[in-house]
Amino acid sequence: MQHTLRQVFRSGKFIVGFSILMTILLIVIIYPWVVRHPPLQIIGQGTFFPPGIYVNVYDAIHAPTLYTLNLEDAAANRIGNKLRQEDRVAMKEWLVAFGVPEDEIDIDDTEKLLALWEANYNPDLRLPGMTFARHRYFQRVNASIDGLLSTEPAIIAAPNSETGALEQKALIRQTDYANVDEVANVRILALGTDNFGRDVLTQLVAATAVSLVIGLVAGLIATTIGLTLGLLAGYIGGLVDDVLMFFTNLFTVIPTFVLLILISFSIGQDKRGAITIAMVIGFTSWVWTARAVRSQVLSLRNRDHVNLSKLSGHSVPRIILVDILPYIASYVVMAFILQVSSGILAEAGLSILGLGPRTTETPTLGLMMNWAMIYQAHILGKWWAYLPVLVTIALVSFSMNLMNTGLDQVFNPALRD
Amino acid sequence: MKHRFNLLMILLMIAGMVLAACGGGATPAPAQQPAQEQPAPQQQPAQPTEAPTEAAPTEAAAPVSADALPRKETLYYNGFQWGPVVGWNPYSNSNNNGMAIAQQDSARVTMFETPYLYNMLDGKQYPLLADGDWSWNEDRTEITFKIKPAARWSDGTPVTAEDVAYTWATHVKYETAIGAANRDYIETIEAVDPQTVVIKAKLDENGRAVNPLIVQAYLSTNYVVQKAWTQKLEERSGGDPTKLLADPAEDVVYSGPYGKFFADDTKVVLVRNDNYWGQDPSMWGKLPAPKYLAHVIFKDNAAGTTALAAGEVDVSQQFNSNVQDLWEKQNLPISTYLPDPPYHIGASLPTAFYNLKAHGLDQVCIRKAIAIAVDYPAIIANAMTNQSATFEQVPRSLMNPTPFEQAMYNREAVKHLQWVGNDIEGAKKLLDECGVVDTDGDGWREYNGQKLSYVATCPNGWSDWQAAIEIVAAAGKQIGIDITTNFPEWSVYQTVVTKSDTPLPPGYEIFMMWSAGAGPTQPWGRIRNLLSSEWIGLPSNWSGNWGQYSNPEVDELLKLIPHETDEAKLKEMYTRLVEIYLTDVPSFTLMYRPQNFHTVNESVWTNFPHQGDGTNPPVPPLNLTDGWSIAGLYNLTLVEP
Amino acid sequence: MKGYTKYFLNKLGWFAITFVFAFILNFTLPRLMPGDPVAAIVARQAQGISNPTGVQAIYQQYTELFGTDKPIIEQFFIYVRNVFRGDFGFSFSQYPRTVAEVISASIGWTLILQFPAIIVGWILGNVLGAMAAYLRGGFDKVLMPSALFLSSFPAFGMAVILLVIFAVHLKWFPTSGGYGYTLIPSLTPTFLWSAFVHYQLPFWSIVLIAIGGQAIGMRSMSIYELNADYVKFARFMGIKDDKIVAYVFRNAMLPQVTGLALALGTMVGGALIAEIVFSYPGLGTTLLNGVMGQDYPLISAATLIITFMVLTANFILEILYGVIDPRIKAAQSD
Repeated sequence: MQHTLRQVFRSGKFIVGFSILMTILLIVIIYPWVVRHPPLQIIGQGTFFPPGIYVNVYDAIHAPTLYTLNLEDAAANRIGNKLRQEDRVAMKEWLVAFGVPEDEIDIDDTEKLLALWEANYNPDLRLPGMTFARHRYFQRVNASIDGLLSTEPAIIAAPNSETGALEQKALIRQTDYANVDEVANVRILALGTDNFGRDVLTQLVAATAVSLVIGLVAGLIATTIGLTLGLLAGYIGGLVDDVLMFFTNLFTVIPTFVLLILISFSIGQDKRGAITIAMVIGFTSWVWTARAVRSQVLSLRNRDHVNLSKLSGHSVPRIILVDILPYIASYVVMAFILQVSSGILAEAGLSILGLGPRTTETPTLGLMMNWAMIYQAHILGKWWAYLPVLVTIALVSFSMNLMNTGLDQVFNPALRD
Repeated sequence: MKHRFNLLMILLMIAGMVLAACGGGATPAPAQQPAQEQPAPQQQPAQPTEAPTEAAPTEAAAPVSADALPRKETLYYNGFQWGPVVGWNPYSNSNNNGMAIAQQDSARVTMFETPYLYNMLDGKQYPLLADGDWSWNEDRTEITFKIKPAARWSDGTPVTAEDVAYTWATHVKYETAIGAANRDYIETIEAVDPQTVVIKAKLDENGRAVNPLIVQAYLSTNYVVQKAWTQKLEERSGGDPTKLLADPAEDVVYSGPYGKFFADDTKVVLVRNDNYWGQDPSMWGKLPAPKYLAHVIFKDNAAGTTALAAGEVDVSQQFNSNVQDLWEKQNLPISTYLPDPPYHIGASLPTAFYNLKAHGLDQVCIRKAIAIAVDYPAIIANAMTNQSATFEQVPRSLMNPTPFEQAMYNREAVKHLQWVGNDIEGAKKLLDECGVVDTDGDGWREYNGQKLSYVATCPNGWSDWQAAIEIVAAAGKQIGIDITTNFPEWSVYQTVVTKSDTPLPPGYEIFMMWSAGAGPTQPWGRIRNLLSSEWIGLPSNWSGNWGQYSNPEVDELLKLIPHETDEAKLKEMYTRLVEIYLTDVPSFTLMYRPQNFHTVNESVWTNFPHQGDGTNPPVPPLNLTDGWSIAGLYNLTLVEP
Repeated sequence: MKGYTKYFLNKLGWFAITFVFAFILNFTLPRLMPGDPVAAIVARQAQGISNPTGVQAIYQQYTELFGTDKPIIEQFFIYVRNVFRGDFGFSFSQYPRTVAEVISASIGWTLILQFPAIIVGWILGNVLGAMAAYLRGGFDKVLMPSALFLSSFPAFGMAVILLVIFAVHLKWFPTSGGYGYTLIPSLTPTFLWSAFVHYQLPFWSIVLIAIGGQAIGMRSMSIYELNADYVKFARFMGIKDDKIVAYVFRNAMLPQVTGLALALGTMVGGALIAEIVFSYPGLGTTLLNGVMGQDYPLISAATLIITFMVLTANFILEILYGVIDPRIKAAQSD
């Protein structure tokens, strides 16, 4: 046993796969200890906030100290943030169209450009042939450049609690900086928020855990059923074998996916919990294991040591446990790993069809994917809502496949490099 | 037997392959099957007669061989059609034919036409098939209107008053949905002469019309169907209502500017009838700009949005989440009716109903506490991605956000009642004051010694509603009321909710349903649906008041309004209804939803209806297909002619 | 040939039994689900109807039409009888269209997409796997992990990634549908070309996933065979390498044929989801519509046909297998 283990851990593929899986597991276990936010809490008012560090503006202007930093490119950055090059080109286009001589316009001279704009732009004018979308674009540009060149400080005012009149509390100059460490509220949303305004990273970690459990439960059920049936059919043979193989063959040819759809559909939405789905997947995917175990047992059945046991009058359970199980253990482990990974994939597939676990109680990788698709994340370029989910699914499944290949090479010397 | 079946299956497979190989399996199916279903065989004999009656048969045939619709002559849609078209039968409700058939508050008049066109922006009805305005008689028991002399069917025959009368008679005779919905209010529709129609209202015991509003609404919600064609339809269905309604009506005669060009599982295309009567100066004076109206059938919103962004869709009637990203982030020539949130004009009021028989929910203070604690801004921002007016912009009442309805009540009089939500402290105070407190210290409040614990529910897969219901549940938790969520399948949900002859079962304490949008009977119709006790006791209630609220004063007001013609009195009555609604809180509005989502891409066509586009009367943002919005089709121009 | 006939009959018997069983499952399972699908149709019919008896009448009419008022056993026999005539009844969600109409409009797309894709994926996978086994070295080092990684993606994941990269960002291919949005199906070059272009992304998303799994299997089998005693013996006998390799791969292929038969069900399942991502007008999309519309006649029929296709493919493969594998013939004639 020790020898086998040592051999297994000498296989490069197994180690890589194992480390990936362990890393994911560790993150899943440790992350909730560090970040104690409930994974399904709706924090964002609005959908798909991009990944980043969110600094509370109210706290930032009330930071204990405001530092003055005189940075040269600050003004240029400020303007560039609101007025892109293409906006400048478009402004020129508008000005020319409404009669300003082209050679008077220098789009790189912000000050002149804005002055010209202010003097000439009229939000109600719409050039014949100009689309509404374009018309509104100019209105937006006009709104966004309002006060762009101002160097005046911003005034913080609060209403007087008695008179209700606004009173100046503070001035924020353009050179004022707050240190993020001193701002009371800063939230890191490493993967932004999803369509419900939930923290994607926190949800992803929780979902990975649930999906792993689903895979595990499905794998355990499938392997247990498959192993039991395979052992019985293979060892006892005869009528038991015939009957068991009849069912096994039946379920081999009926596509598992179709069965999954039919069963999940018939359960009905309100009864479909994560574990129910896991059980459904488990109960529909044992066939492979059963077939493989049976053929292994068949070849073992007439080995010398088994015959010896039989002659010594050992009971059937004992023979199966002692003389057969250890010889197929490696195979069963491999089958189990495959079952777990295909269980995770199956849940994801079902969820995309809207047949996954019922929503909003527990996050699963499939459900996250499903909601991201419903709210069109992939089309709107909100990669953080779906790509990390896909990568996680692929990584979990990849790590297990790698482990499996590694094991295969250990147990089948012919395959070794 | 088995072999026969297998053989059939294999044949089917091969046929499928062959079909797919030679043109995408698009040919209508019946040829492959033994075909004993009713629609198929009837369809066959109808075919030969179809060609001659077609107004422009040569035109319909030509572009098929030219294999593509010219982009600059085609207006592309999405969001109307989510599955294949199943028929063209204006008597049936199950055609799933979003481009051609929708008899609703603002009827879709691309292919079939109504006597009048409703304009939800000003609440008026404009004549289409009708000539001039309709008029009540002295006692308000009969409406008379004329048919335009120019109006013609697609086979060239004139539209007559007889057609209007026969359409109604057919609806009644075959118990169609329209017949059933209106026969309690309309006695008969008669043709006095070929141009003059008289609608006689059903009278109540006092000799007054039962409901003049519904009679008026009939004029702009229901199509006129040709008598001759209807008789043909009756003949081939042998008087059997099921057969008549299931008939796909491929040979139907229509009066609208567009007719069927092509339909399969992936798209449906209408083609302009260049002999359309509406080019007569008495109506539009010209033909609508696009020659084809096409609708690709997308699998879901995501696919539809992709196509809209790619310029493959001109008019989008679907929920495009974060629609502003399309122009703000992606710089596409896409816009909505309004430039800023809520982007669309809200028309209906998706509503959370209370089961008024549930423990504690019979108490106004508990109902109100939950309602004022809900975070409506989050619902509007997350579930609707800001495509709903907020309750600061349009304070809650029973009215939708259209200017026409907002003017129907006195806002100042009920201002103190219009909560905006997120008022956790106020809700707690309200509960404390009426003695609903946490007595056993478990963190949840009790009423009469029993913990307040509810389930909030809506159908599964209705994503914006689900998100909204989640937010309602969150509000409950914050004020010490345990609200969990549950999302049953629609088929389960609707059978439970619409059964109004028994109390609702546990699990449906707070549930979401719709309310009516904009239309000629509104806001009366919506208020009736929300509050009238006449729906209680119905075994299958598709109208409203699913929480089973009953208030005699409301019922009385609802009876009076349809007969009231004095605007000031009307306003007074509506204000009183709003006051009762906001005080009793039998249900509460969660968001505003537009009648139609109306997002347009101006890469090919321009001059779509927009706020402030200068049209008079204003063209409503109903995708240039519904009611007065069809006028928009005549204003379209090409961006690059 | 007697042995083979027996083998054939045996397989045929299995085919029939499995089909009957699958048929019963297909009928029963969707009907177990809670809720009243007829009420959903009535809901559509009855919107706007304010009088209760009217709604009740409509409801009555449809329960009779769909036969949902009869006991389930009776419904089953009616269903069996109708299915033999190719009549799967009315689709609930697309009434008055029949299920047969709905399915026959989509089945062609599915067949033409999935079978070539699965076969191309299988062939490419096997060729790559065999090459990896034979060449080893760098090729193997790169191919193996990437094949593994590819096959680790869920089918829809691959579809979404291809969609985002090649359709949304690069705009090389269309995002959805079976043919160009401006086109009307016809046998013109424009249409065929458009259908071909629309075919690419769904096709490759299925192929890519299939390649991974097949390549891994083939590689293992080939290595196994390459190290077998007969190869060593042949080398020792001085038989040409080409010839040995030909034998080796032929032997390695055999289990791969069985593998294909067994994996077919899973592949088809994945491919159905790929169809959905691209709104490809095939059975996958139809199935999704059925699920969304609670349309159990449609779900029953769609899953039945998928099962039937997989069963048939399996059957054909088994028959082929009996022909090409000499061991089976030998075993059967004992």
